[in-house]
Amino acid sequence: MKRKIDRKISGGETGFSRREFLQRSEGVAIRTAAGGAFLKLIWLDNAVAAMPAAGGYLLVDTKKCQGCMTCMLACSLVHEGKENLSLARIQVVQNSFAKFPNDITLAQCRQCVEPACLKACPTDALHVDQEHGNVRIIDAEKCTGCMSCVEACPHAPGRAVWDFEDEHAQKCDLCADTPFWNERGGPGGKQACVELCPVAALKFTEEIPKQDGDEGYNINLRGDGWKNLGFPVGSGEPSKKELER
Amino acid sequence: MNGYGGKILRLNLTKKDVSEIETKRYEKWVGGHGMGSAIFWDLVKDKAISGFDPRNVITIMTSPLGGTIAPGAAARTEVQGIGVQSYPIEWFTRANFGGRFGAMLKYAGWDGIVIEGKADKPVWVDIRNENVQIKDAGRLWGLDTWQTQQKIWGEVMGAGQFGDWVPVGKADDARRTTQKPAVLTIGPAGEKLSRIGCLIHDAGNAAGQGGFGGVWGSKNLKAISVIGTGSIEIADPNALMESRLWAMKEYGYHVDHESGNRNPQVIFWESSHDARLQACIGCHAGCRSRTATGQGNESQCVETGFYAGFDRDKHGGKQTTAALIATDLLQKHGINAYEAWRGLEYLIELNKVGILGPGRQIDCDLPFDQVGEAEFAEKFLQMISRRGGIGDDFAEGFARAAKKWGRLEEDLKTGVLRYPYWGLPEHGYDPRAEVSWGYGSILGERDVNEHDFNFLFWDPSLDVWSGETPEPSAELITSIVAEKLAPYQGDPLMLDYSTENIYSEHMAKLVAWHRHYTRFWKQSALYCDYRWPNFVHPDIPDAPGLTGEGEPRFLNAVTGKRCSFLDGMELGRKIWNLDNAIWTLQGRHREMVHFADYIYGAPFEKTEESLYVRGKYYQTWGYYLPGRRDGEWDYICVNDRHLDKAKFEEFKTTYYKLEGWDPSTGWATRETLESLELAGVADTLAQNGKLGA
Ligand code: SF4
Ligand code: SF4
Repeated sequence: MKRKIDRKISGGETGFSRREFLQRSEGVAIRTAAGGAFLKLIWLDNAVAAMPAAGGYLLVDTKKCQGCMTCMLACSLVHEGKENLSLARIQVVQNSFAKFPNDITLAQCRQCVEPACLKACPTDALHVDQEHGNVRIIDAEKCTGCMSCVEACPHAPGRAVWDFEDEHAQKCDLCADTPFWNERGGPGGKQACVELCPVAALKFTEEIPKQDGDEGYNINLRGDGWKNLGFPVGSGEPSKKELER
Repeated sequence: MNGYGGKILRLNLTKKDVSEIETKRYEKWVGGHGMGSAIFWDLVKDKAISGFDPRNVITIMTSPLGGTIAPGAAARTEVQGIGVQSYPIEWFTRANFGGRFGAMLKYAGWDGIVIEGKADKPVWVDIRNENVQIKDAGRLWGLDTWQTQQKIWGEVMGAGQFGDWVPVGKADDARRTTQKPAVLTIGPAGEKLSRIGCLIHDAGNAAGQGGFGGVWGSKNLKAISVIGTGSIEIADPNALMESRLWAMKEYGYHVDHESGNRNPQVIFWESSHDARLQACIGCHAGCRSRTATGQGNESQCVETGFYAGFDRDKHGGKQTTAALIATDLLQKHGINAYEAWRGLEYLIELNKVGILGPGRQIDCDLPFDQVGEAEFAEKFLQMISRRGGIGDDFAEGFARAAKKWGRLEEDLKTGVLRYPYWGLPEHGYDPRAEVSWGYGSILGERDVNEHDFNFLFWDPSLDVWSGETPEPSAELITSIVAEKLAPYQGDPLMLDYSTENIYSEHMAKLVAWHRHYTRFWKQSALYCDYRWPNFVHPDIPDAPGLTGEGEPRFLNAVTGKRCSFLDGMELGRKIWNLDNAIWTLQGRHREMVHFADYIYGAPFEKTEESLYVRGKYYQTWGYYLPGRRDGEWDYICVNDRHLDKAKFEEFKTTYYKLEGWDPSTGWATRETLESLELAGVADTLAQNGKLGA
């Protein structure tokens, strides 16, 4: 059974579907509503098409994270109205016995400039949502449940999440569509995980991060406050504790 | 049922039987301790049995807040049953732990676990959502707590890869997770039926008090593993989000945001600077770390304090890795940190005076000149967990060891054995000083380990030790806190720790408030002891915190009910009464409710020692608490006093009357029990001739 979601933002339409978008754009580069994000020409559906870059990205600091998984719980709460780690669109993977910093991985959707998940979607369920800053979004109504996107995401754990309760795929929409939270989300709005992270180890940005590797997405968010707590602030910079020694 | 899985897992180890109890049957108790006590009451007909009796029932309960974003409440899990640590009576008692276990249990659809009977050979329990299997633990028996967990992780994850999506259950199960199973296990100490054995989860979460490790060992239960992919329904998700944001913004419920920046760690060793802060699931302010060496991962509080002082004493005031190694061993063996700490102090004293040592009256081959070295800790802890040599006595807890050595009475008179209540180790907050802690413990059944009013000692004392005038003033702090103490609000004298006031009705009200608040809000709704209550704003020292408003706000957002703060206090009173009825049936009488002799005879001396707390070293000098001197509020030094036995007896009478209990016995009256809708409990007490008059 597919779930019906009342779109709380901008009532009804969620913007162009991917197919509509391709038809309308007809391969011509257009500037995006999110403003400033550059466009990239990629092959889609055997045609050269423009896919605007997303207007927002989620950055993490795995060394700052305290492993509380509040971000996961916030994500599932605002999207599903329930607490469920398996339905969270950001995943925190950790090992209690491992050594810092290799004890935690934060797996957030990268809103890729060239999203493999979107390319793999045989319908227009996974699309670029123009109305919400070109965030890569899954329309649950249109999802056939083929799991192509889930399998296509090249990252581990995969960022497209299978909602086994309602039987459709879902992924981070930067909180563009949070039926259970009365806040405007998406680029330009608020993200539940960012808002609730108690140590500010998550950050929203409009800048496109370096696409190769992790360094553009996993950054240093440890400032003076963190230094005062005596934790390492990284990039060769000694912590307060180290200075005192 | 919003906030609940809807069912409680019932395991009969004797019959290898798995069944369910509908949570609804116990819903009026909300969760945690209340549910646990009620289930214990129903299932254990003879409450005067030993904790090692197969008929002893152990409950492991969560709350509606488990696995949600209610701050500092998602993780806590309450363990209850007849313990084996207290002396002489093995009281029905409780322990509590955090981490991920309770939340994971709820994602698997279970609100709690009830363990009955005794397996004929070692077993572990494998819970994967609704699928529960009791499995052979032959290959796990003998492994330490960390090895056991990692072995189970491997088995449950099958061919799956850590860090990727793994199906839970069969390979084609669409329900997947990136998470590792949460495992609660005993170590070698529990297997050997140690009365000071713990239950350990992940690296450093322990249900430490009560000797539940030994109880599991007696049931041949090695471990319970749970992995869940289900949902917890939330009545008002938006209200829950907004409440958490409100706590963050208005009351500083975070660690690193604009409004403030505090180190939330509760560790008593010099922390590694190459580490991360580490929290239980859902917590807004982690209290421990994971380090670059992996040493000391996830340990906090007394676990970190247990060996750090011995280490520093041995190494010219400098901490070495010995403290961390010792703590990790403690977690791996699954041994109670307070017993190991106070027990070792005791052994050292007996060694100094020539009573205990190789070939002495109490023959013990520990190399006392090596105390403070890692090797010493290893030998000491191994003796406990393997019961080797005199370790066989240590494993019984140090009160029973002293009894066996014929020293209990004398050493409790001098205070060489710092075991002030029920044969249990003292916590660091001496009953002669912070009386509310001690009174709660002796009127209950264990070292309370409830830090509610403890900041009234730490904050001024740390200021005094650093040569500063404590701020804000005692008068201001007590008036802020007093406003929060509903239903007794507005009486600051409840917080007056001066010798003139500690036997007063004001103090009795404080103790009653503390008993009722913790029984419900902290042990049933399961708000974490470290993070709740919040009397004073963390960033604005003269402004109130969110206690009173915060507790019900989160609970109601999750459940959709309309439970007020006072409703919770009343339920806490009811649960406290039920517990007292169980102790009554176990043989409790007011005559036995008294402290060890040293509490009445020996003054609580000032000690000067180097203490590492809140990120730096202090030289301790004096125990300060708010109190009145000549009618004026101040922070007063409460050292050098002892309790007055006769006055404490009067205090008990005052307290019992306040609770509606018969002051001549300490047993509840029918009237009191009926007012709490506990008429059935009153009937049972009457049948046993133990109803208060
Ligand atoms: S909320 Fe923040 S600290 Fe907690 S797990 Fe997520 S990123 Fe880490
Ligand atoms: S931005 Fe929103 S959708 Fe994306 S991971 Fe965070 S909470 Fe989930």
